[in-house]
Amino acid sequence: MAKESISRTFAVAAGLCVVCALIVAIASVSLKGAQERNKALDKQVNILRAAGLLQPTEKVDASRAAELFENCKTVVVDLESGTIDESADPAEIEKDPNNKIKLDKADDIASIKEIPAKTVVYLFYDETGELKTVVLPIVGSGLWSVLYGFFSLDGDLNSTANIVFYDHGETPGLGGEISNPVWTAKWKGKKAFNQNGEPALRVIKGTADPASSDIDGISGATLTGKGVTNTVTFWLGEKGFGPFLKNLRAQNGSKSEN
Amino acid sequence: MELTQNDKKSFLEPLFKNNPVFVQILGICSALAVTTSMKTAITMTLAVTFVTAFSNVGVSLIRKFIPGSIRMIVEMTIIAALVILVDQLIKAFSYDLSKQLSVYVGLIITNCIVMGRAEAFAIKNAPTGSFLDGLGNGLGYGCVLLIVAFFRELFGFGKIFGFVVFKTVQNGGWYVPNGLMVTAPAAFFLIGAIIWIAKTFNKSLQDAE
Amino acid sequence: MKFKSLQRALDKAGSSLFAKGKPLSFLYQLYDAADTFFFSTNQKTTGSVHVRDCNDLKRAMFTVVLALIPCALFGIFNVGYQANLLHNQCGAVPGGWHGTFLLWLNGQCPGLRLFDYTSVLGCFLYGLVYYLPVYIVTMIVGIFWEVVFATVYKHEVNEGFFVTGFLFPLICPATIPLWQVALAISFGVVIGKEIFGGTGRNFLNPALVARAFLFFAYAGQITGDKVWTAVDGVSKATPLSYASEGAQAIVGAGYQWYDAFLGLIPGAVGETSTVCCLIGAAVLLTAGIASWRIMGSMFVGGMGLAWIFSLCGSNNPAMNLGPWWHFVLGGFAFGMVFMATDPISAAQTRLGQYIYGLLVGALVIVVRVFNPAYPEGCMLVILFGNCVAPLIDHFVVEANVRRRMKRLQAR
Repeated sequence: MAKESISRTFAVAAGLCVVCALIVAIASVSLKGAQERNKALDKQVNILRAAGLLQPTEKVDASRAAELFENCKTVVVDLESGTIDESADPAEIEKDPNNKIKLDKADDIASIKEIPAKTVVYLFYDETGELKTVVLPIVGSGLWSVLYGFFSLDGDLNSTANIVFYDHGETPGLGGEISNPVWTAKWKGKKAFNQNGEPALRVIKGTADPASSDIDGISGATLTGKGVTNTVTFWLGEKGFGPFLKNLRAQNGSKSEN
Repeated sequence: MELTQNDKKSFLEPLFKNNPVFVQILGICSALAVTTSMKTAITMTLAVTFVTAFSNVGVSLIRKFIPGSIRMIVEMTIIAALVILVDQLIKAFSYDLSKQLSVYVGLIITNCIVMGRAEAFAIKNAPTGSFLDGLGNGLGYGCVLLIVAFFRELFGFGKIFGFVVFKTVQNGGWYVPNGLMVTAPAAFFLIGAIIWIAKTFNKSLQDAE
Repeated sequence: MKFKSLQRALDKAGSSLFAKGKPLSFLYQLYDAADTFFFSTNQKTTGSVHVRDCNDLKRAMFTVVLALIPCALFGIFNVGYQANLLHNQCGAVPGGWHGTFLLWLNGQCPGLRLFDYTSVLGCFLYGLVYYLPVYIVTMIVGIFWEVVFATVYKHEVNEGFFVTGFLFPLICPATIPLWQVALAISFGVVIGKEIFGGTGRNFLNPALVARAFLFFAYAGQITGDKVWTAVDGVSKATPLSYASEGAQAIVGAGYQWYDAFLGLIPGAVGETSTVCCLIGAAVLLTAGIASWRIMGSMFVGGMGLAWIFSLCGSNNPAMNLGPWWHFVLGGFAFGMVFMATDPISAAQTRLGQYIYGLLVGALVIVVRVFNPAYPEGCMLVILFGNCVAPLIDHFVVEANVRRRMKRLQAR
């Protein structure tokens, strides 16, 4: 039968492959722009939420997001020295595969094994040019999964503005509540550092004293809470953004004296 | 164009009498994974229906040219191309949903319903009938998904389509959400219950003692 | 004789009201249940020789309930005792309708000393106020489902549920909301038992299925710290939740080993006291209801692995917790005596029972040591054991068949 001959088989296979490849290629190329815009907007929205410029459920389009980003300075920070690297491009640094440092076991309280050497930080200013919010990317281990989020500080570089987890795999309803705005609202205004300048924020079991740096734990999610505490403690500490925040504070101090 | 009796049958049967999920027990994996909310369930339904219907048409159109030795590979290629197309479209036009559905859109390729219909029906039937058969099977799958998602979203989150029906205690309301409903085993129990009900009402589905 | 007249009345009612064709025939299952509850069956075997004694399913189930009574009585007392200890320490008061009722009762008869932790009767009555509603709801809802299924599927209502209904409140915290009790026991009875054909055909222990439902559905409430003591707003963790921090942390939290052994610690109603579990074990083993193979091998498996872990020594403090601690904490003893030995859902073959017991015992310790999210893994591990029990039996039987075949061929 001609239908089963080898040449016929190859011809059908080749023809089908060309047609399918064409469909897939056209779809991929023509939709790539929209997909990348979506991805970028999604990230911007998370940053704006952390900065308190967007309500937790509010949705915006790309142009409005760009507008809100107008007073934002996106900088690349060298974590170890805590200085701003003016020469680095924020878009490039996140893709660079060599941009990482291995952590010692003793330092690695957030259980993440390695951190980027340079990372992108978002500084939001108000109309007068005064620093309003600093948005820091954070990552750490929860109970089951890696938590990705943004932590933000007010302009005094001590009061917590917000904490947003945009990606995690914790149990919905228990640990998953870390991304519930009702819970993250409890962080607002908590002092991030104690008198010695050490990270002080802690998620505790039960109800916290409003004046302290403790945050009410989520019932049934003690271990996820511990993971959040470790993550925040690490990133505000010496190996995280500690040096950068110190430099920023010094800079702000000298500015206000002038 | 006039629809024959057989065409109608191939559309209607998979909706209940020969439902792919609760009669043939196919496509269970994705039914467990994407039914935590109505929105994801509907998106998944549309995606699977689209893929099943058009892969059936594709296979049916070239059924006379497909050599037997590479039959399955040809079917798979058509299905895969369509799935990638759907995946790209969702990513471009509904990014939030694509994040929630994660890998499960891509995994439609491995959904037994799609391959099963191509192999069992489209390879030996005309395009019109194949299209209706694919449509019926996709929607039959979707019906189950929506029933399961309705209960899971309502009792797991107190919401329907994201709208609050029961205000949960976490948000200051009265409803204590049922954590079991949020996890995949709940879908297992619900599908089990649907099979139970279907077998009670349709005696022909019961196993001979 | 009074019994004779009761028997005659029942028989008469049976033939005139509940038999086929009579007005109440659709309730025959209920009648049958009542009849066989009072009297052992008068059906006799015919034909070849059979050995029969009156120790049927009903009597066996009744013995299990008897063995559970020490655990229940002590548990009820302990609920009141733990609450009153806190009442004494920091003036915590019971909340909700329980609290209103207790305060009212205390006002009416102060002689009961409801809020005095030194009064055994007071503590017992205090605990009873919490325990009794849970028990009543469990029974009403459970029997409702039993009767529904028995009537629809025409099998008899039997006493399987008396044990399930007695076990379930004992593995719950006393403060559990009653609607959760109703939901959980419905799930346990329907999904855990009835859909497989009722008592004797369930491959899972229904009380544990109900408890597992609570664990997954309302984990926030059921695993929290506030549920274990029957007073308002005070959190007191169970000693087991300190296990991941080692024995020092348990003692540091104010729990001595003998407290845990006697059962004077917060926890689920009936499972805190290892002593009472051991009394129950003695009853069950003497009556020959529970398998000593399962109980023994689970003890050996659990304690053996805990001992090996404690010898290893590591940074994980839970590993260094000695076997004597593991034995008295959480649900290990209770699960070993009453749950794992459930004759329906456990392994049936002799060798299979040894394997089953060792597996369950060892896994309980593994879960406790390596998974801090589920310190109380006993329940889930026994359910897992239930699932693999038929498989274990299958291989044991297969091996037996193969051995005999070989012997046959050699001949």
